[in-house]
Amino acid sequence: MTISIATSNGVCHARVTGEMTIYHAAEMKGELLPCFDQCAEVEIDLSEVSEIDTAGFQLLVLAKRVATSAGKKMRLVAHSPAILEVLDLLDMTSYFGDPVVIPRALH
Amino acid sequence: MSELDQALQTFFVESRELLEAMEESLLTLESEPDDKEAIGAIFRAAHTIKGSGGLFGLNGIVAFTHVVENVLDRVRSDEIPVNGDLIALLLSCRDHIGMLVEQVAADASAEPDNETLATGVMLLNQLKSYQTATKETAPAVSKTNVKAESQVMTTLPSGGKVESGHWHISLRFGRDVLRNGMDPLAFIRYLDNLGEIVHVAMLPDAMPFPPDMDPESCYLGFEIDFHGDNVDKATIEGVFEFVREDCSIRILPPHSRIEEYIQFINDLPENKIALGELLVNCGSLTRKELEEALHLQEKLRVESDQEASPMLGDILVKQGVVQPELIEAALGKQKVAKENKVQESKLIRIQAEKLDQLINLVGEMVIAGAATSLLAQRTRDPALTESTSTLSRLVEEIRDSALQLRMVQIGETFSRFNRVVRDVSKEIGKEIGLSIGGAETELDKSVVEKIGDPLMHLVRNSMDHGIEKADVRVKRGKPAKGTVHLNAYHESSSIVVEVGDDGGGLNRERILAKALEKGLITANQVLSDKEIYGLIFEAGFSTAEAVTNLSGRGVGMDVVRRNIEALRGTVEIDSREGVGTTVKIRLPLTLAIIDGFLLGVGSASYVVPLDMVMECIELTEAERQLTRENNYINLRGTVLPFIRLREQFREDGKISRRENIVVVHYAGQKAGLVVDELMGEFQTVIKPLGKLFENLKGVSGSTILGSGEVALILDVPALIQRAVNVESRAVL
Amino acid sequence: MAKTVMIVDDSASLRQVVGIALRGAGYEVLEGCDGKDALSKLTGQKVHLVISDVNMPNMDGITFVKNMKLLPAYKFTPVIMLTTEAQESKKLEGQAAGAKAWVVKPFQPTQMLAAVAKLVMP
Repeated sequence: MTISIATSNGVCHARVTGEMTIYHAAEMKGELLPCFDQCAEVEIDLSEVSEIDTAGFQLLVLAKRVATSAGKKMRLVAHSPAILEVLDLLDMTSYFGDPVVIPRALH
Repeated sequence: MSELDQALQTFFVESRELLEAMEESLLTLESEPDDKEAIGAIFRAAHTIKGSGGLFGLNGIVAFTHVVENVLDRVRSDEIPVNGDLIALLLSCRDHIGMLVEQVAADASAEPDNETLATGVMLLNQLKSYQTATKETAPAVSKTNVKAESQVMTTLPSGGKVESGHWHISLRFGRDVLRNGMDPLAFIRYLDNLGEIVHVAMLPDAMPFPPDMDPESCYLGFEIDFHGDNVDKATIEGVFEFVREDCSIRILPPHSRIEEYIQFINDLPENKIALGELLVNCGSLTRKELEEALHLQEKLRVESDQEASPMLGDILVKQGVVQPELIEAALGKQKVAKENKVQESKLIRIQAEKLDQLINLVGEMVIAGAATSLLAQRTRDPALTESTSTLSRLVEEIRDSALQLRMVQIGETFSRFNRVVRDVSKEIGKEIGLSIGGAETELDKSVVEKIGDPLMHLVRNSMDHGIEKADVRVKRGKPAKGTVHLNAYHESSSIVVEVGDDGGGLNRERILAKALEKGLITANQVLSDKEIYGLIFEAGFSTAEAVTNLSGRGVGMDVVRRNIEALRGTVEIDSREGVGTTVKIRLPLTLAIIDGFLLGVGSASYVVPLDMVMECIELTEAERQLTRENNYINLRGTVLPFIRLREQFREDGKISRRENIVVVHYAGQKAGLVVDELMGEFQTVIKPLGKLFENLKGVSGSTILGSGEVALILDVPALIQRAVNVESRAVL
Repeated sequence: MAKTVMIVDDSASLRQVVGIALRGAGYEVLEGCDGKDALSKLTGQKVHLVISDVNMPNMDGITFVKNMKLLPAYKFTPVIMLTTEAQESKKLEGQAAGAKAWVVKPFQPTQMLAAVAKLVMP
């Protein structure tokens, strides 16, 4: 798992590649949370997430809670099929409130 | 054969091996009752057979082995002492399991016969006294819990039932769930496959804010509204069976009464009003029902003056066995045929037939290779000759490797006799032990399979007739306990298997008398000791005065000899009166392909096994003269008897100008074969002779030469015997 | 991407049958004939689930799980232990070692598939 972070116009763009699983949970938490200190708006690109488990999902929930409590914006974008499956299973699409784009592969 | 059938075959092979190991360890235990390793091995055998048997639905085997395993577990934890009775019982149990396995192996659909069933019942009765009584207590506990729950239910005031026809499942996962490798998402996914998750609400309330939040801990809870046809509570509980110990799981069936929902809400840690809203949101309760519930709850509190309603008690999560059909349906969606790489274990099991087929093919390749080499030589093309010689070398290596595949150690065959010796010694009331040597000696599997019966006969013979009664032994100054010895070693291209005993030895005079009486010899015949002892292998010969249960039943030693000879082997016997008897069986290492030495006599070719050739000598003209007068030559000061193959096989071809003598040896004896031509080494694929040639003396098989011609394989032991006999008679 | 399950048992026939069932359901299967063999095959590749017997020669299942959990790549790999009712004490020992899921021997292939699917969908 790798996270690449770039900031432009006060928006922090984080892009997660690989597995969002418990094996990388501590690492992910350490890299994602500082984004909220630096920017008012965080966009997490999930297009390259190959696998997500409860630990990974829980971190997204954590991020959302941190953002909400700090009055900042968080967006999940470009959901990969693995992410969509979990959001669908848990009926969580509305929780994150992001428009879910159907991935290109399904067209 | 389907994959599953193949697995079943593996099960049979595996069970036989385990049972053999079990027997061996039980016998070890007899002399060393504290041997933990042996106890472990015995337990493991029963455990594995039960486990794998269950996988194939072999209920008879599982039911019986289960009881045995239970007793063994108690032995393992020192609850039952190991003694002779227990070992004898466990040995019988082992035999019974073996019987059950073999009956399934013979016919998977057949029920065990009455005799087997009776044995099983008898053994189970005997095992009873060793069994634990703890089994009864487990179900009793759950019964009382059920009772407690129903009592609580009846004390609650009756209320209306909710409308929802859905299950409501409330999950609060334990903090360590993720660290233990459990993924709550996986359980929910599985639930989704059992039916339909109508609605799910996630509860993140328990999650602390950073930095207190540990990303490897689980803080999530879920409220799930679930609909499933034909799903019962046990099935839903079963979904979460692996996390039920560190999670709180509450399940409300469809149309639960409102007070149950109240209880449910009370039991949950979150804010009660919010929870109620949640239940409405996920469709488990209607708004009206919620209001009624909250009202009822208030009323209850006032009435009982209690903080909360009586506890419903933890929902009993039965250790539910999930209905197989449901899972099949669930998994059916996902079934995708896939090419999978299996990582093989260190050993591969293959069918013996496949190996035989390979060896047959290698045999054909050897013949075809020889033909090619011959053709190449005729072309006198050096490059082609070079290339075919490389090919020949490779073929030879392939041949050796292929044969090596079929080589097995004789130890396994030997160790089977531990049990035989033990049982027979008990039966005949003599104390006899078995010692084994050369267990690691290898020989062809096809030979091993056929050697069991002759060995059995010889061992029983030794125990029955060879070893004296204890009082006689003591009188003779020998230890009271007799010993049967099994030994094996390689000697030239043969394997020698010895069955020995430290018994009374053979009585030379009695054998002679009996042989005379049976007309096997004449009164004035002079015989060596070896020949006299060899007489006991003649048909119809038996000196045993008492016909016992074991060896004296008309099946004599002649059958042993015939069996051995059918394997191209020989038997000889060595005995010293009062000291013991040893029977030596000599067998070829393989029955398929040998390194041969090709000889020419006239226009015909013959093969002798290369290992039996000691040297080749060209006869000088003077020596040729001498050989016409005598049947022996002087080889560096020793007498070497010989046979003229030309005469032996009535070869008419023109007499060659030169003659050679090939010195062959077998079992410590030497003889010469006079031939015309020495044609060198030759890989010989042994083809058995047909029935028609069964009685042909001096020939043990045939082979096909590169040219397509047939060459006979000489039976060297028989020829040596003949040469020695002729020569010794001539001397006399 | 197919999920990988490793089955560790000294019974070849048990591995064979479980293997057939798992592959049929779409899992990739790795096999180990005892704890030692299984450990030697865990070389960093992703394994989603391990099924292991307790009683095995060379290295028993509990020692195997303890050792496996020490490897960073398999720290959180879930384990299904195979047990018999006679082994309650082993169960506690196994849970301490990190094996939380237990399936009682003898079992039917469908039961094993169900247990596996609860932890990892194919």
